[in-house]
Amino acid sequence: MVMNMNLSWLEPYITVASQIVLTVGLWAMLKKCGNKGWYALIPGFRWYALSDCVGRESSGTGAMIGELTYLMLNVLVLFVPAENPAVVLVLLADLVCRIFMAVYILRIAVGVCQVFNVKRYWSALWLFIPAVMACWFGFNSRMQPIYIDRYNDDGVLAGTRPAQLDEIIASHISEEDAAKPGLHVRLRERSAIAQFKKRYLLKDVHLDIPNGSLVLLLGGSGAGKTTLVNAINGYEKADADIYLNGSNIYENYDQMKYRIGFVPQHDLLRMNDSVNGTLNDAALLRLPADTPKAKRREIVDNVMETLGMGGRTGGLVAKKSGGQKKRISIGMELISDPDLFILDEPDSGLDGVIARELFEKLRQIADSGKIVLAITHTPDRVADLFDKVIVLARDSGRCGRLAFYGSPDEAREFFGRDTMERIVMCVNREEEGGEGRADEFINRYAAMINQRNNEKAEPAETGTAEEKPQGTAAAEKKPAEKTKPEKGNKQSGKNSGRKNKKKKKKNHKKGGSRS
Amino acid sequence: MSEPIRYRGRIAQIRICLGKLLRMFLYQNDWKALPMAAIIAGLVTFAVGNNLFKTQEGTLSGCFSLVCVCIWNGFFNSIQVVCRERPIIKREHRSGMHISSYIIAHMIYQMLLCLAQTVILLGICYIAGIRYPSHGLVTGQFIIDFGISMFLITYSADMISLAISCIVKNTTTAMTVMPFMLIFQLIFSGTLIYLDGPAEKLTSFTIAKWGLQDLCALCDYNSQPNVTMWNTAWQFREMEIDGVQPVKIIMDSVLEDNKLDDVLLESGKYNQKEEYAPTAENVLKCWAWMGGIAILFAAVAVGSLEFIDRDQR
Repeated sequence: MVMNMNLSWLEPYITVASQIVLTVGLWAMLKKCGNKGWYALIPGFRWYALSDCVGRESSGTGAMIGELTYLMLNVLVLFVPAENPAVVLVLLADLVCRIFMAVYILRIAVGVCQVFNVKRYWSALWLFIPAVMACWFGFNSRMQPIYIDRYNDDGVLAGTRPAQLDEIIASHISEEDAAKPGLHVRLRERSAIAQFKKRYLLKDVHLDIPNGSLVLLLGGSGAGKTTLVNAINGYEKADADIYLNGSNIYENYDQMKYRIGFVPQHDLLRMNDSVNGTLNDAALLRLPADTPKAKRREIVDNVMETLGMGGRTGGLVAKKSGGQKKRISIGMELISDPDLFILDEPDSGLDGVIARELFEKLRQIADSGKIVLAITHTPDRVADLFDKVIVLARDSGRCGRLAFYGSPDEAREFFGRDTMERIVMCVNREEEGGEGRADEFINRYAAMINQRNNEKAEPAETGTAEEKPQGTAAAEKKPAEKTKPEKGNKQSGKNSGRKNKKKKKKNHKKGGSRS
Repeated sequence: MSEPIRYRGRIAQIRICLGKLLRMFLYQNDWKALPMAAIIAGLVTFAVGNNLFKTQEGTLSGCFSLVCVCIWNGFFNSIQVVCRERPIIKREHRSGMHISSYIIAHMIYQMLLCLAQTVILLGICYIAGIRYPSHGLVTGQFIIDFGISMFLITYSADMISLAISCIVKNTTTAMTVMPFMLIFQLIFSGTLIYLDGPAEKLTSFTIAKWGLQDLCALCDYNSQPNVTMWNTAWQFREMEIDGVQPVKIIMDSVLEDNKLDDVLLESGKYNQKEEYAPTAENVLKCWAWMGGIAILFAAVAVGSLEFIDRDQR
């Protein structure tokens, strides 16, 4: 008799009750995780709030969209007559929505299990009895989060609050300074909205790079190297003033983009196109429209000659070696004779000899009066070729900042390390195997620059200021601690950078390799 | 202040991009689309070509198969062309390339490719023994009208897949989406499955529907004999009722009187469809729809690719 009872009338009550229990459970869980409990009352957003606590924000976004769509479909189906064929489409959408939600909630549940330090298989129960599980995690006193990841479990995302540091470098740039030759970067902030939050990618990066410099851009993963170069070349605009030889890059982007060459990390070339065709098309796009054909040809030939590929532009790109492809890629940008030349890991995938050869070519390009800015993860094999080093570091708020800008020798002295790779390790986070001293060096560098600027300003008032190039301050100041290189850094000191540069130029004229 | 330097504009860039695409046609084996089109056309005409232009059934199935070949060719021509080189386009866009120039170059290139495929398809049909009617509804020449129709079917399918290629980020997604688009075209063409209500309205957005309507109108479907009734009756020829074979009697009588053609033509009249009316207006309407679909999706392609700078690194 009991078996024959129709209990379908109970279904709506069970649904409502389970939703209430789920909300209560999630409220308790969110509070445990340090989030606002009442977020549990907002349909959709409650999953996002939970995912935020367990470092699964992207899944939280999916679950939120899924739940909202699911609710909308349920409302919609109330207004569609049962005999209407559109009901089938709504039910189909409902089914798809449920599948998506199940996957996203499972992902969040895995994160919950990690944060609450329970076995992962508990997450499967979230699919069938989410309300019970939410209450179990929320009200069981033995269930406590062992850590809360409010950003991202792998730390890839930039933070929402940059570290509050003692020193910040002044960001203004005078008209007089902006008009000077070279690259002047006054980047106050570069942020992006990701997963409903403003995230700080870069902050307070201020540089003055003279023409004819080959600059190394160093930094660990997520420090903002590519973000910085994209901000400098105007491709991803930041809250910044960027001047290249007196012109504001952002304000005159349509013209300035032809004066900036950017070589991406990977060889973005059509492998089945001919080398000649590739270079000729690049010339047609990048050179002024009134450039005669013969002149265009000559420019292409000269560029390839400079890159050591003169007379080897026949055949398909695919048939060329890795080093040659890289040169073709560089050549495409060099055709427009840019004032600023940016290269993102130009030596990736190249062996030591070829990489060195390539950087020597870049040295030649810099010596012709250009600014060449290169990112590389193996800087030590070519460190002697650089005039300047920019070190970016991710502060404790996961925001990229300037930790140092100066000559390679000054960098070694400032960080107290004898190689560029060790310098990067110095500022890298401990999770990455680094020393986690980013905040310390960012602060120290900012203090040093501020002090130098103050010293410069004081004599300027009395009219006796002696202009010094930025970046030498590190050598002039005695760092407070750990300033001595770990291994023999014999060429530290005020003049070593200049001496090295002179030596480099001398070597370059001889055409000999530097090591 | 010095005069701003003038770089190549959109029109000049179309030439650059087109030159690049023509080089790729040779070097990247894009030319293989032509022999592939010939093979597919050969297979289809071999299977369905016998009764094309002869009976309503043969014309309908033959035209539908040709429409499928055209859509297939169009989809495959461009489904990967943009997404496979997305990072390169992003780089070139940085260097001053206009997205509209790039897409227009693709449109011109694909137009040439579709034109070549149409010529191949018509040639294969002729070689397979299909004899075209002589009278055309729009230009006066059937072969020209038929060619334009097949070209438009191929080209509009091509533009749809070009738009998909611009929207998706990689070739895997493109190749996953394509079968869904093919299924949509076939199911919502209104030929294989009878559709009514809201589903029927969706048919207006399929190339298959307009393509089939166009070809059937050109082939004068409504004036052709219908053999379905005769063939069905033939199966019941031996049926006896009270020792009499009524179906056989009627059929023999028709054959004895040499009235079979009249019966088949008369059957055809009962199977006429308004949408296949053999008028120039009808054909032009189909052309306009297919042309409109091609332009719409080309615009979608440009619009979606303009956001290429937002691609994650």
